[in-house]
Amino acid sequence: MSIVGNSMGVGRSGTDRHKTMMRIRNYRWIYVMLVPVLLYFAVFKYAPMYGIVIAFKNYNVFKGITGSPWVGLAVFRKIFANSNFWHSIRNTFVLNLLTLAVSFPLTITVSLMINEVANRYFKKVVQSILYLPHFISWVVVASIVVNMFSQNGGTINLMIQKLGGSSVPFLSSNGWWIFTYVASNIWKEIGWGTIIYLAALTGVDESLYEAAYLDGATRFQRLIYVTLPSIKSVIVVMLILQISKMMTIGLDAPLLLGNKKVMEVSEVISTYTYRMGIEQAKYSESTAIGLFQSVVNVVILAAADRFAKAIGEDGIL
Amino acid sequence: MKNKITAGRVINVLLLTALTFICLYPFLNVLAYSFSGYNAVLTGNVTFYPKDFTLSAYQEILGKKQIWQSMRTTVTVTLAGTALSLVLTIIAAYALSITDLPGRKLLTGIILFTMYFGGGLIPTFLVVKGVGLYDTLGALFIPSAVNVFNFIVMRTFFRSLPSSLEEAARIDGASYLQVLVHIILPLSLPIIATIGLFYAVDYWNSYFNALLYIVSPEKYTLQLRLRSLLFGGELNSTANLEGVGSMVMSQSLKMATVAVSTLPILVVYPWLQKYFVKGVMVGSVKG
Repeated sequence: MSIVGNSMGVGRSGTDRHKTMMRIRNYRWIYVMLVPVLLYFAVFKYAPMYGIVIAFKNYNVFKGITGSPWVGLAVFRKIFANSNFWHSIRNTFVLNLLTLAVSFPLTITVSLMINEVANRYFKKVVQSILYLPHFISWVVVASIVVNMFSQNGGTINLMIQKLGGSSVPFLSSNGWWIFTYVASNIWKEIGWGTIIYLAALTGVDESLYEAAYLDGATRFQRLIYVTLPSIKSVIVVMLILQISKMMTIGLDAPLLLGNKKVMEVSEVISTYTYRMGIEQAKYSESTAIGLFQSVVNVVILAAADRFAKAIGEDGIL
Repeated sequence: MKNKITAGRVINVLLLTALTFICLYPFLNVLAYSFSGYNAVLTGNVTFYPKDFTLSAYQEILGKKQIWQSMRTTVTVTLAGTALSLVLTIIAAYALSITDLPGRKLLTGIILFTMYFGGGLIPTFLVVKGVGLYDTLGALFIPSAVNVFNFIVMRTFFRSLPSSLEEAARIDGASYLQVLVHIILPLSLPIIATIGLFYAVDYWNSYFNALLYIVSPEKYTLQLRLRSLLFGGELNSTANLEGVGSMVMSQSLKMATVAVSTLPILVVYPWLQKYFVKGVMVGSVKG
């Protein structure tokens, strides 16, 4: 943005323009260094954006992007008429919402619990272990989940059977699959989520605690009346941020944990785009779904940013 | 006042201990399975410590050629990818941390915009195919070389360095490249290590790019191999695992494979852990 402003501004007088030219000359090697970076973004980020036009074309591999005929919004009409598309949107929302509903309060609770620990060593060990799953790949997590939750020979079902219960179809019935999905997501990311709250908690003014203590506040009262209000703004911003991501869902977890039996609840936007595009080679349809999702995302994000600013918080963009 | 032992405090520690155990249990379960004998696994007696201790699963898995091949592939991709990513990220972050670089805002905007909007799966796939990277290892790191979040973290760090050092070197006639190599980089080793580890872990764990772009089995990465071994090479396979007939590998063998492919992450984790908290914090204050 500012380069436009700059160059227009300096255009008014010759000496200013001369100065800018001098600065550009001065920095010429910096621009040369930036060439590979810009090339990367041009080829792998901006060229695909041009490729979005195939959402408005009947893409034919042999004719290429430019050669394929324009079809206007026909592709969109086609995907909107497909109930699988709406299912994938519904599933994305349901899985995200359930995960958020459990993980959001849980993350804050765990952060507060860790913050209350007085023993530094214990605190550090707990944090190290809780952060670890974040760095494990979804392929590994999925294989662990299957090993533990499968109906035949899964550790958990064996335990249930030993205790006299009947085995639970954690991976093959719709309701239980959602449970397993949410549980594994929370297991993987809960520790990681506490980082931001713990950082905010270290910033809480110590004198407030002392004042509350002198006023006879109990530990719990201090938590409710001092700690929580102090990190309120972080909580609000995190909530807005996460709600703004409702339409985005990672592909790895639903793809690796999902299976034919639970397709009805496990097919989300990202896996649907993948199956449409790569498995069925319906390039135009898949691109149209991707574009629809991107646009909705940008709109939600902008709205969330506005909302955050409107209630007096920092923006999230 | 701070160290009084109360009931609440004890309950808190107990709950956290339980939580930590839940977090750790799956890992212990994997190790227990991988070291347990066939019969113990079959009867379901294995929980978080091995029964009928044996190394046979590891002997078998380390005797498989494909495992070694995919290990090599993943190591190659991780090293090459981390190197490329670091070079591009450092250059971008350094150049765009210079406040009076003409065009800085526009160039930064070009990079940040890709965080919010992109071409999506198929257009990117077509570009990668179009530039001839399909079914090459390059497809696994070149198209995802710069992570914008890491760029922001790095730039924030460079900005925090005192500019006087740089100016002094410039007055002494050092070029910008010399300033970067001799002044900025030595001061930035911790952040470079952090970002490097972030990239390395991402490359090590990434599997979707391999699923998209790699077709030849002799180019499979570890994660892709793991998936095809563990889930029988089929996408809709967790359902198959519910059946008895599809026990492609014994559970011990599967878990030994999981352990072997996760070990490198566990080895770098202590270093990773030293830095990532700072990284996350710096990144969340983007400007």
